[in-house]
Amino acid sequence: MDSLHNSRIRKWFAESPPVTWGVRQLRELLIGALKQGPIPQHVAFVMDGNRRFARDHHIETVEGHNLGFEALARILEVCYKTGVKVVTIYAFSIENFKRSKHEVDALMKMAKVKLEQLSEHGALLDRYGASIRILGQRNLVKPDVLAAVDKAVAMTAHNKRAILNVCFPYTSRDEITSAVRTTVETYSTPLGSQSLPLKRPFSETHITQHIRQQMLNTVPEEVSEQMASRSASPSSPKENGHSAEGEHSSAASTAINSSDKDESNSALASFRDPESITAETLTDHMLTAGAPPLDLLVRTSGVQRLSDFMLWQCHEKTSIVFLECLWPEFDLWQFLPVLIEWQWQRRKLHEQERGRSRHIVL
Amino acid sequence: MASTGVGLKETTAFRRGIVNGKQLTAKDREALMQAYLPLEPADSSDPSRSSSPAPRKKQNMRTKPTPTKRKVGIVRNALHVVIYVVVSFLFSVFFRFRRSWRLVTSKIVSLLKYHHRTPEFIQRDTKHLERLPQHLSVILDFHESDEDLGNAGLEGLVNDVCEIAAWTASAGIPFLSVYERTGKLKNYIQQTHSSISQTLEAYFGPRRKPSLSVRAPHLQSYSPPLTPPTRPVSSDSNGASAEPQHLTVLLLSAEDGRDTMIDLTKTLSDMAQNGTLHPEQVNSNLIDAELREAVCTDPDLLVLFSPTVVLNGYPPWQLRLTEIFHLPDNKGVNYQVFLRSLYNYAKVEMRLGR
Repeated sequence: MDSLHNSRIRKWFAESPPVTWGVRQLRELLIGALKQGPIPQHVAFVMDGNRRFARDHHIETVEGHNLGFEALARILEVCYKTGVKVVTIYAFSIENFKRSKHEVDALMKMAKVKLEQLSEHGALLDRYGASIRILGQRNLVKPDVLAAVDKAVAMTAHNKRAILNVCFPYTSRDEITSAVRTTVETYSTPLGSQSLPLKRPFSETHITQHIRQQMLNTVPEEVSEQMASRSASPSSPKENGHSAEGEHSSAASTAINSSDKDESNSALASFRDPESITAETLTDHMLTAGAPPLDLLVRTSGVQRLSDFMLWQCHEKTSIVFLECLWPEFDLWQFLPVLIEWQWQRRKLHEQERGRSRHIVL
Repeated sequence: MASTGVGLKETTAFRRGIVNGKQLTAKDREALMQAYLPLEPADSSDPSRSSSPAPRKKQNMRTKPTPTKRKVGIVRNALHVVIYVVVSFLFSVFFRFRRSWRLVTSKIVSLLKYHHRTPEFIQRDTKHLERLPQHLSVILDFHESDEDLGNAGLEGLVNDVCEIAAWTASAGIPFLSVYERTGKLKNYIQQTHSSISQTLEAYFGPRRKPSLSVRAPHLQSYSPPLTPPTRPVSSDSNGASAEPQHLTVLLLSAEDGRDTMIDLTKTLSDMAQNGTLHPEQVNSNLIDAELREAVCTDPDLLVLFSPTVVLNGYPPWQLRLTEIFHLPDNKGVNYQVFLRSLYNYAKVEMRLGR
């Protein structure tokens, strides 16, 4: 246990220009090397351990959060340089509002300051090509923080290369609930008959018209044939009356049918069929809609729980990694083994799959 | 903190926003950042950056790299490949060694901590734990082929379930849910019940055998009538064990995860279309209550017997605060993992060879 205040010499050495230059080159080299293998497309982090780090090093909790933010900056750099498309971070849980007001306010202030600083460097942000998105309950955030958030989001919205999802009053249950709610909403709003989502090349009115025409064509013929066979002496007014009757009845019947159809349409098909709801429907209503599936979830500080984070996204094939180190200590040197192990597992999986397919072929 | 590769000046600037006692402006910050920025994105066709003119100019300059620059690029690329190969080789050797090491240690531990199929041994291992989960959940895999572990097919799966159920009952945990992705066991609830109760009998003996019910969501619970209670005898001999223990085993599958959630959404949509429910009424309490009834309550502890943590479609809603335990590189069901998970849950160090 060395505190932040001792080991001055080591610190001086570590911060001398040649050493920092060397370390930086080494980092770049390792990142470039990592890039040669498979890279997770979507990584999520639970930034846990800031408070314990502060307690262990006898510094203020807020200071711990600040150091945590530094760790975040470092990790984001690693992620985007290796080619991760989407990074999702658990910045603030809805449950965190239960913490002391002092801490919550400090966290909010930090978020605001950092986002405002970020907004001053539009050109530099473009260099990373990352857009920021905020996932969570916006109405729980104070308006001044929200303004900073919106500014940063709007400023980076045009970047397409990478995405940073910041879960900022977020819980996964809340996310799932709102996904279900919006799905229910979309399925319970009546559809206007003009705005049917299905566009088929056939129009119903055209078909009814066609049927009507067919009936018009066939019915009189039959009638006339019958007429011809029944009575050798054709009386024109009778026939006319008949054909008129036939025409009338057929027209009436199609009219009734079509009106029936219309009614049933407006009664039933004005809603979308709930049976068409699939897992994709819900996934598309999640806050992470459009992002590639979560490949890797990292939680620091040795707590082996998900704590209401990315439940829907991570319960399928995501590799979940629990690390012992606290978040402010988290850096390339902790992340590197995780990534390499992930790559290794991925390769093994591929080999297994290939082996299995070969078995099947044989 | 040699690891960061960031100088003192930059660090303080980052932390305090002050250099040499004066506040940094946006321009100063950009100047400080220059050394750390990534290269210009190589793809100039990217439509997202055509909007900013400044990087454009630089890009045009970069489109005609001098031969030396190109050579540097090739060398760097080759270096990256070499380092990648070396690093991944070293790590794969390391991973393999680590796996063997963990395998050996776990074998030793399982020798030291064997339950001998007697509940007393298991009780001795777990009775000093202050906190026991009330709802234990395990994830098991259905193995098509036998990979020299002897747990292939349905029989292997049922064996695993039986053993785990017996350990759970011995530790005094009343509720066990078994997740298996394909849900094969759900078709054999009756057979599973008889197998588990045989195993329990083997552990506890016919007299002290805890009562058992096996069920699966949406299926009827299977708990045949109990044999006449032997309470007078047991209360005579020992007051503590007078209360008959009960174990509920719940079989879960991938259907109980997303699919149940989707079914719930469908039902809610139906209700909303009929006008019996307003979309605003959908909240997490409602969903929670419904899923609690349809599937199960939130497990306190989830134990994986796989080498890594991959949830394979485990019901997501219930996982909110569940403690997830796995032993790295472990393969297959064994008592040691079970015991360790309980120790971990109770935040107790497992000591060996007392």
